[in-house]
Amino acid sequence: MAIVTPGKRPCDRIARSRVFGKKFLRGKRGVYATIMLTSLVDMFTIIVIFLLQNFSATGEILFMAKDIRLPDAVHGAEMERAPVIAVSADSLTFEGKQVMLTADLRKGDILNIPELDDALREERRKYERSHAGDASKPFKGLIHVQADRRITFKIIKRVMRSCNDSGYSNINFAAMSKAKAAEPVKTAMK
Amino acid sequence: MAGAAPHEGSARGKKKALDAELNLVPFIDLLSCCIAFLLITAVWTQIAGLQVASSGGPPDQQKEQQTIDVKLLVTEKGYALTMAGANVEIPKVNAPSGLAYDKKTLGEKLKTLKSSLPDQTAITVQPEDNVAYEDLVATVDTCLGEKLRDVTVAPLN
Repeated sequence: MAIVTPGKRPCDRIARSRVFGKKFLRGKRGVYATIMLTSLVDMFTIIVIFLLQNFSATGEILFMAKDIRLPDAVHGAEMERAPVIAVSADSLTFEGKQVMLTADLRKGDILNIPELDDALREERRKYERSHAGDASKPFKGLIHVQADRRITFKIIKRVMRSCNDSGYSNINFAAMSKAKAAEPVKTAMK
Repeated sequence: MAGAAPHEGSARGKKKALDAELNLVPFIDLLSCCIAFLLITAVWTQIAGLQVASSGGPPDQQKEQQTIDVKLLVTEKGYALTMAGANVEIPKVNAPSGLAYDKKTLGEKLKTLKSSLPDQTAITVQPEDNVAYEDLVATVDTCLGEKLRDVTVAPLN
């Protein structure tokens, strides 16, 4: 006697039936699945609207370093593109290039940072050279200072002094934008 | 029935059906491209800038519209608001993380100042050397919140 797979075995008539025969088909399910296009398009549209709302034409101005935790601010303004001085617990960088170690900044008693002065003056020279014939873009002296929240003013003061000496007197302190807390609704009490 | 698409007429007056089938494939393609582009260019961190002037800047960039000279000292003990001979001390308050600067009281004092001098927009913030960047930013933020837009940061000593 032939060995057969255990299970239900229909008779010939049922097996040939278009209605009941499908029940007994094994391993012959259809490989095609239908997609509900309406819900797919709905989902895509919602995602596009959400992403468009978050879209920023200015792009990413500051590179968020792991070792810099910015403080929060409520009344901050949108930032323009400008050179960035980043001060972390370990190092001071200008436009991504390390200028000095923060530990060395704590030691010194001089008011400015000569290495940063040189880098800032070079940056200013570059800007003025590249915008020499363009009167619509004068040098505004704008610079971003991105420091870790625990950095003391002793270091910030020296950075600011260097910026000032190099002509960058419009200093932007970077902070994480935080939404203003909603004021409690005043209801009329009788 | 109102609102229904007209049926195709009889053999005599055949009317074209108003219903059209939209080809969804290019539409989905477009949406997919938009999603990919927006995801790549998305900026998830919202960074704000608090613009301050630094003391000792070039004379042409110094603000000249100061109504009165308002100085806000940020010391280890707290805030000290100095204006027109008057001196207001705002000591630190207890917070879950220890002693913290009383930004709420500072805001109230600055609001009072602003209400008595509506044209006043300038203030000089003078922090001590050991004041953290976080506290400096919070102080400048409070000043900006009270419409004192010309904030100058100068060292205390």
